[in-house]
Amino acid sequence: MADRYSFSLTTFSPSGKLVQIEYALNAVNQGVTALGIKATNGIVLATEKKSSSPLADPSSLSKISLITPNIGMVYSGMGPDYRVLVDRARKVSHTGYKRIYNEYPPTRILVQDVARVMQEATQSGGVRPYGVSLLVAGWDEGILPESEEEAAGAAPVMGDDDDEKKKHPTGKTGGILKGGPMLYQVDPSGSYFPWKATAIGKSATTAKTFLEKRYTEGLELEDAVHIALLTLKETIEGEMNGETIEIGIVGPPADHLLGVEGVEGAKGPRFRKLTPQEIEDYLTNL
Amino acid sequence: MPGFDFSNYNRNAALCARGMSLPKATSTGTTIVGCIFDGGVVIAADTRATSGPIVADKNCEKLHYISPNIWCAGAGTAADTEFTTALISSQLELHSLSTGRKPRVVTCMTLLKQHLFRYQGHIGAYLVVAGVDPTGTHLFTVHAHGSTDKLPYVTMGSGSLAAMSVFETLWKPSMTRDEAVELCSQAIQSGIFNDLGSGSNVDVAIITADKTTLKRNYVKPNERVPKLRSYVFRRGTTAVLNEKIIRKEDLGNYVSVHELSTAAAEEGGDDKMEVDT
Amino acid sequence: MSGIFAINGGACVAMVGKDCVAIACDLRLGLQALTVSNNFPKIFQYGDVFLGLTGLATDVSTVSDLFRYKVNMYRLREERDIAPRTFANLVSSTLYEKRFGPYFVGPVVAGLDPKTGEPFICGFDSIGCIDFAKDFIVSGTATDQLFGMCESLWEPDMTPDQLFETISQSLLNAVDRDALSGWGAHVYIIEKDKVTKRLLKGRQD
Repeated sequence: MADRYSFSLTTFSPSGKLVQIEYALNAVNQGVTALGIKATNGIVLATEKKSSSPLADPSSLSKISLITPNIGMVYSGMGPDYRVLVDRARKVSHTGYKRIYNEYPPTRILVQDVARVMQEATQSGGVRPYGVSLLVAGWDEGILPESEEEAAGAAPVMGDDDDEKKKHPTGKTGGILKGGPMLYQVDPSGSYFPWKATAIGKSATTAKTFLEKRYTEGLELEDAVHIALLTLKETIEGEMNGETIEIGIVGPPADHLLGVEGVEGAKGPRFRKLTPQEIEDYLTNL
Repeated sequence: MPGFDFSNYNRNAALCARGMSLPKATSTGTTIVGCIFDGGVVIAADTRATSGPIVADKNCEKLHYISPNIWCAGAGTAADTEFTTALISSQLELHSLSTGRKPRVVTCMTLLKQHLFRYQGHIGAYLVVAGVDPTGTHLFTVHAHGSTDKLPYVTMGSGSLAAMSVFETLWKPSMTRDEAVELCSQAIQSGIFNDLGSGSNVDVAIITADKTTLKRNYVKPNERVPKLRSYVFRRGTTAVLNEKIIRKEDLGNYVSVHELSTAAAEEGGDDKMEVDT
Repeated sequence: MSGIFAINGGACVAMVGKDCVAIACDLRLGLQALTVSNNFPKIFQYGDVFLGLTGLATDVSTVSDLFRYKVNMYRLREERDIAPRTFANLVSSTLYEKRFGPYFVGPVVAGLDPKTGEPFICGFDSIGCIDFAKDFIVSGTATDQLFGMCESLWEPDMTPDQLFETISQSLLNAVDRDALSGWGAHVYIIEKDKVTKRLLKGRQD
């Protein structure tokens, strides 16, 4: 590569915009809507599985992917770009973390790694930005003792000013210290945001308005799945059934999926995709 | 694949050339076995790790996880068995995620042999690979130089002869699960009692189509007798010249923490640097 | 005596007690039979995790600095302290990376699990094989002696005070029979909310 020049395709416009990134966001905003809702005991990711033709076989299509046993991902935008990012995310979670610390990365670390990949595509020569926005949902184990976790939550209510200051760092980075569910959005520019609930894609605005109305603090996972389906119903174009909807949940450890017994400390994956049958069951109870 | 770092190699070779002997790595010594039965496969291992003549670990784990349906028993250099199996486990997990299929035992064995052959025996991992996949039940041995075998019953490690003598005497075709577990356990115990490199307890893993059952310390034939008297010293036995106590709440005296006030943090949040709006 | 591990001498030991752990090291730095210093501690603290390093002194310094860097980077990246078990795996993978050109060190890790408060100790060979132990870990030129001392003196569920006496006596008596280590000792007793560091009087011969 040293013998030839490579030019960045993403360059500033005189007004200070990176139009390539805006175009990438336009691609995202034409994509099928995807949404995520964080509950107290888990997260739900949901999207529509839209096929261009009635002849397409929907069972071969998969838009929600497992990255690590506790982290899952969904996208809005360009499918091929998404698959590249899924592969990179899985790979980097092993090479950059598991092979060093013998444990899977916390959600924020994985999100930063994926965001770095996406950012590099906005500044490198000869490449274009990724045409996807991602929703990354995961569960972090945390390192604070259980009792302190409650104390940290209770402190601002009863504690005096001094106490509050002491507990402050705990609240700031709750996910990684306390553990629990984390939901992030990653954009083509490489910026990322934590959310309680959000949506991306074609009907993101409508869906977000709907979520703002429906979201309450202290939501349980079952309610979150319910709200996710209601939100999807508002925006969906086709029919809603187990074949056309995809749902991934971060919930309690699914030890039945572990496949081993007698291993000390082994926990089942928290992230799993709901089967069409499970989705149908939720839909009938809607 | 792991990308070893050779930056100390020349220094160490120079020290070696000046007559310094290199340190000995922890070796598993080891008796490991595997045996196929009707409906699955059993692997078993002892739990002694040695450093020369010293017992370094009395209850180490030599049964390594590859994937839920594939497990490995390791002999040879302990670090090599640990990291080689962890690396192949990682590769197989990524492969399994991208193909959407369960990993196969032949895939695992091939990755292992290719990795070990590349390092020409310098990675001292001697492995028994066992598992059940959609193509059936499999049992392999992989040697450090990259050669492999496929047999209905196998033994490896310094206690392999002791263990094999048990297999050659008692093995019969199409055993039940319990018979196979008992046979493997007996073979390991033969290694524990007759081979100095092997000792302590028996670990067993039973792999069938639907699940793997790990029985850590399945047999404990060498339990230490509890001490009859306590040898705890009276307080003040040891002469102390100086003492320093650091309490958690006093940690602030030793490191400086600049905590941003909540108000400042919120103010800072106002002047955003958002590009994509 | 011609081993690389035995050039500078030194010993380290870690022990588990009830809701506490202890880690101790001698203070000698030698050049073969010549003692150069009697103030060369071999225990390094990274947040709540303690690392003992015996072996070639140049590598003890290099490796302790390397892990200070790695733990600081971890703290900046993850905005949290590293847990002892995570640190142990970091030590292991770092040493194994140099599988064919190792650092000549025998690391020992001690700490309390931040989530459960459970004691955690482990030891390593020079290429990163972890020895998880529920009782004690020994390392250095007085390994053989320390194994004998600890095997006979250690018992389960010792209080911090008992643990201090046991680890101190194990170390002091072991290094008295090792020409290459001794010259005083550092002992750390690590409890949930405090760490006690003591300097022990040892033979100066």
